[in-house]
Amino acid sequence: MKRKGYMGKILMVDLSQGTIWEESPPEEIYRRYLGGMGLGAHILYQRIPAGADPLGPDNMLGFLPGLLTGTGSLFTGRWMVVGKSPLTGGWGDANCGGTFSPEIKRCGYDGIFVRGTSPTPVYLYVDDQTRELRDASAVWGLDAVETEAWLKAHAKPGGKKPKVACIGPAGEQVSLISGIATDQGRLAARSGLGAVMGAKRLKAVVLCGQKRIEPHNREEMKRLSQACNRWVQFQPPFVPGPLTALVGALMRIMPAVITQDGILYKILLKKWGTVSMNQLSPEMGDAPIRNWKGSSRDWGFRKSYSTHPGVFSRRETVKFHCYSCPLGCGAICALDGKYAQTHKPEYETVLSLGGFCLNQDVDSIFYLNEVLNRAGMDTISAGHAVAFALECYEAGIIDREDTGGLELTWGNSRAIVALVEQMVRREGFGHVLADGVKQAAHRIGKGSEVCAVLAGGQEPAMHDGRNDPGFALHYSVEPTPGRHTLGAHLYYEMFQLWKVVRGVPRMPPIYLKGSKYKNPQRQAAIGAANSRFMTLVNCAGACLFAAFLGARRFRLFEWLNAATGWDLSSEAYMDLAGEIHTLKQAFNVKHGIEPRDHRISDRALGRPVQTEGANKGRSIDIEAMMTHYWQAFGWDPQTGKPGQEILEKLGRAA
Amino acid sequence: MAYQITDNCTGCTLCAHFCPTGAARGVKKARHAIAAQLCIECGACGRICPHNAVQDPFGRMAKSEKKKDWKKPVFDLGLCMACGICVDACPAGCLEPGPPDPKRKTAYPLLSDPGACLGCGFCARECPVEAVSLEIRADAEAAAGAA
Repeated sequence: MKRKGYMGKILMVDLSQGTIWEESPPEEIYRRYLGGMGLGAHILYQRIPAGADPLGPDNMLGFLPGLLTGTGSLFTGRWMVVGKSPLTGGWGDANCGGTFSPEIKRCGYDGIFVRGTSPTPVYLYVDDQTRELRDASAVWGLDAVETEAWLKAHAKPGGKKPKVACIGPAGEQVSLISGIATDQGRLAARSGLGAVMGAKRLKAVVLCGQKRIEPHNREEMKRLSQACNRWVQFQPPFVPGPLTALVGALMRIMPAVITQDGILYKILLKKWGTVSMNQLSPEMGDAPIRNWKGSSRDWGFRKSYSTHPGVFSRRETVKFHCYSCPLGCGAICALDGKYAQTHKPEYETVLSLGGFCLNQDVDSIFYLNEVLNRAGMDTISAGHAVAFALECYEAGIIDREDTGGLELTWGNSRAIVALVEQMVRREGFGHVLADGVKQAAHRIGKGSEVCAVLAGGQEPAMHDGRNDPGFALHYSVEPTPGRHTLGAHLYYEMFQLWKVVRGVPRMPPIYLKGSKYKNPQRQAAIGAANSRFMTLVNCAGACLFAAFLGARRFRLFEWLNAATGWDLSSEAYMDLAGEIHTLKQAFNVKHGIEPRDHRISDRALGRPVQTEGANKGRSIDIEAMMTHYWQAFGWDPQTGKPGQEILEKLGRAA
Repeated sequence: MAYQITDNCTGCTLCAHFCPTGAARGVKKARHAIAAQLCIECGACGRICPHNAVQDPFGRMAKSEKKKDWKKPVFDLGLCMACGICVDACPAGCLEPGPPDPKRKTAYPLLSDPGACLGCGFCARECPVEAVSLEIRADAEAAAGAA
């Protein structure tokens, strides 16, 4: 039995041929690409031909646990789905928690890769003895929660219950903003990879394995986990939810910033989850409001009060922990009406369907959260599509005749609910929006493009780059544009990388807020360190929120060595992560992406500048930051493309 | 590395019945065998074998034990993080998140099917914070008796 944390095999599936086989990557591949996203980048770069149709048989979809998943480390139960994104036309990935990740390893694999297109709907079933494609006609058309329940009841009789990752109706209908669901509605949502699965007519991946996952040094893994857990369990008594708004207001007013210690955010997360930011973020200018046109003035304390964190914790029936998570930021909440329960909505969902549309009706947000989870549609992109339509309606670009009678005014929760219900069914005006903002603008035309805020075709998340230029940078330069989970100035403060990695920028204990908008070279250096570190986090299968604890509390580098038996320095791991990051950028270039086209829309950069609110007068010099960022990886500073010399170093020269 | 069945085997089928992965196989009244690639070294075959016909991966004869004497998990909820590692580690599917603790709204692990527990100890082995210990449990004893 291997004692290296990884399983040493990957499973390959060809849906067109109906064939399934195993491959055994040599150790050198693991040492270079680690696992998770890195292993996915290696396989997909190699095997997806240039120019492949993302919705065609040549595209591949990979399901990958992390290198640390199942090794006794904490916060490492996340899995990645990777493929060529139909939304951006380039590298696509989406990340999800829940309990699915270790099951991939329990089946004996470090990744499951699917190519081809099935003539009829199928699901992939894998256990210790069986690997087969099965007819999915019984679940085709069911929502994600119903599908999971059916497959758990019927795919395997008795004993340990299988784990399921599936698409809902949105994926089946090849919605370009659909994702892949596990654990009754947790979504790997971004990059539109649910559409790839739907186009392949692969309804679900059902896994039930028993294999052991053996780290090199289990005692050391436990020692590191126990040290980390002591920080997680530290939880002082806490203030009522609405007071978070006051903290946000203070952060808005103060000209200086104390470099944030992530233990504070950990306390908020453990108490309320991500909804702890519902009032804090809009107050401090972190949340985009009214389709990036509004400000904290449009979504002040009284309006955001209906979504204060206490509203959500009151509805919790049980906390939800992803696999190996000691914190439990999620929860199951009770609902009235059509559905009995839902996963507690995340901050992103609450803001995109709340403040972003000026919707104060929290019941509608709970309901739509469940509707979208069951349909398997990304709540961030769906909220963007709705806000885009609201602005088009306000501007007179569309009218009641176009919307089928819906009065799409800001904050009209009934109309918003009806519109989202149409989107998930691809009915009426919902069909126009069901593929996201880029497609909607294309379908509507009539100058509606000015209302579309995008980064490389992807709807950005609910964090405003005008408040934290790091978000604007990562939205614009990442191989997966528009992503909020890969870096920000604030994230860098919390990662505290400079304490364990040599050569990365140090943060002073206190700094002037205005300094974030100056010195693009330093901002880019911070961004490059963020990208490397988050690549590593995503190779390990780890959670962003755990990384917020700080590198001395969440000891990723030491866990990696203890799990694998390698003896690499933190700097060596960061270098490997840099190469993986470059490989994703090279994937984009191979598929015809111009990196500069990923730049986020002007409106989100403060062009024109806002005249009121928390981000008043702020504008981001994104071009300078992008140039320095590309230089930090050795890519062409004008085009953002990795040169031939770098590709040769990666063994990827044409 | 895997468990092996020796010539002492009488083909009673108990090991095949208890093996959670289907690694132990054979026909009734004939010597059984363990498929090495499927064996997860849970040791259930050795514990259940009434004829002491099973060798562990190190070549030692596995000791047969009465089912009521099998040690099963007990959870220290003061240490438990509710992280789900033990539930996932269980090859028999006999652990699951229990009803939520009313104060903390947290679902701690529960031995929901003591009769199905193999006493393998994977739950205790994998728990990062040593919140799982293995003991002879009265409820498991009762379940074994009923079985």
